[in-house]
Amino acid sequence: MPFEKILVAIDGSECSDRAFDKAVELAVLAHARLTALGVEGPLPAYAATVGEVDEVKREKDSFFRALAAAARSRGEQAGIEVAIDVRPGHPAELIPRVAEEGRYDLIVLGHRGHFVRDRLLGSTADRVAEQAHCPVMIVR
Amino acid sequence: MSDIAVAALLAGTVLVASTISVEIGLSVALIELFLGVVVGNAFHLDVPSWLSFLGSFAGMLLTFQAGAEVDVPQFRREWKASLSIGLVSFFAPFAVVGLLTYYGLGWERRQAEIGGLALSTTSLAVVYAVLVETGLNRELVGKRLMSATFVTDIATVAGLTILFVKPTIWVVPFAVVSIALIAGLPAAAPWFFRRYGNRVIEPEVKLVFASLFLLMWLGGRANSQPALPAFILGLTMSGHYVQHRKEQERLRVVAFAFLTPFFFLKGGMSVSAGALWANLGVLAVLFVAKMVPKMAGVYPLARRYTAPHATFTTLLMSTGLTFGTITSLYGLNAGIIDRTKFSLLIAVVVLSAIVPTAIAQRFFHPHVVEPPLAPMPPARLESEVA
Repeated sequence: MPFEKILVAIDGSECSDRAFDKAVELAVLAHARLTALGVEGPLPAYAATVGEVDEVKREKDSFFRALAAAARSRGEQAGIEVAIDVRPGHPAELIPRVAEEGRYDLIVLGHRGHFVRDRLLGSTADRVAEQAHCPVMIVR
Repeated sequence: MSDIAVAALLAGTVLVASTISVEIGLSVALIELFLGVVVGNAFHLDVPSWLSFLGSFAGMLLTFQAGAEVDVPQFRREWKASLSIGLVSFFAPFAVVGLLTYYGLGWERRQAEIGGLALSTTSLAVVYAVLVETGLNRELVGKRLMSATFVTDIATVAGLTILFVKPTIWVVPFAVVSIALIAGLPAAAPWFFRRYGNRVIEPEVKLVFASLFLLMWLGGRANSQPALPAFILGLTMSGHYVQHRKEQERLRVVAFAFLTPFFFLKGGMSVSAGALWANLGVLAVLFVAKMVPKMAGVYPLARRYTAPHATFTTLLMSTGLTFGTITSLYGLNAGIIDRTKFSLLIAVVVLSAIVPTAIAQRFFHPHVVEPPLAPMPPARLESEVA
């Protein structure tokens, strides 16, 4: 069996939606376990008020709760159960780390995220591909 | 440039700052401060009186909010461990910066006190963001660190109020009203908010604003700075806000949308890029004068109370931003420091928000054990499920 555990990164962007669809297709075909990793992204750096940090965290939590529910529902429609894991952090660091910790054998992610910061230090997809211990599928 | 032209320019700047903040993940306050420097120096703008007024009130609101954001029950649990870290974190740089600027740089006594206060602060917000990202806010280390930051904050606002008071007879009504508000507002708030709250006209926000304006007026008449009563008022309201999250959220919306941007823009516009450029050596000396005593004082205590993250804790306790800006702006507005000294202090405050945080995250990032992943059932075809 080519893939037993697949990790797909989701952030609500169009590219990550397409990546999620491909990951579901692959999981169904390979009878693999699928986990959707919601990467919340960093909190505002050097904040001036706790309120700014708190509100951004709350917005992110709420956004990713809705995203997780949508991912589960889309998985159910395809006939599979999707496990959800939502964590704060930088996607380029977090995705390879979670993949290695969880011994995934494929990472699926979109080629572009939501924000300019995702491209500031080079593409997140490129950096994940460089650091990952397993094959990486980048969906356009 | 006319007042309305300046207002339009600054409103556009505030909007740009918000979008940049979302796109690159930096605090909006820091970007507002930076864009304030750019706009102020590029257009040679002086701070108009309306901006100065709004900015002063926003500074008071930020002080109130800082008090309201303190986790009082947590502080009660951790105060013994946090007290020593927080006090050393305040007094070590206050003494060193004060003495250095007075004897070494030839500043006057009150200028040296402003310098010492501005560079003795620790930023609760910067610390909090890092702790939440690392997950340490749930651990004892994080709780002690936040409580210690609170101690440093209250020492700063107490210093600001006490050191610069030149008492007049108005000190009496200022003290009486401060005590009455601090004792009365938390008691009256539940009734007032129940009867008048949850409306789009926001009487509960107006109650806070009226209280703060009253403190500012009486503080001004008493030749004092109302930071301490504003902070303690926020502190006494923190329990109420914990139970009524929506009220705090609405206050934050009003503050972030309209008031705090003008506070940070005003701070940025008052910075002279030329003065900074001409005094890079002094800037470096002041930065070292803040960082070295903070770190030397905090590290031994951090080894005792926040092991095994002592270096990480020490670096975070060396950060500063909001209270450093509030103190520097007070010094400038009160005519205690000139624009050059203000520019130097603000630059050191901003550097102290960025440099220790970046070093802590890059080299001393604690690896908190993440909760285990949820068990994952294998994917199955719908037909197999049936």
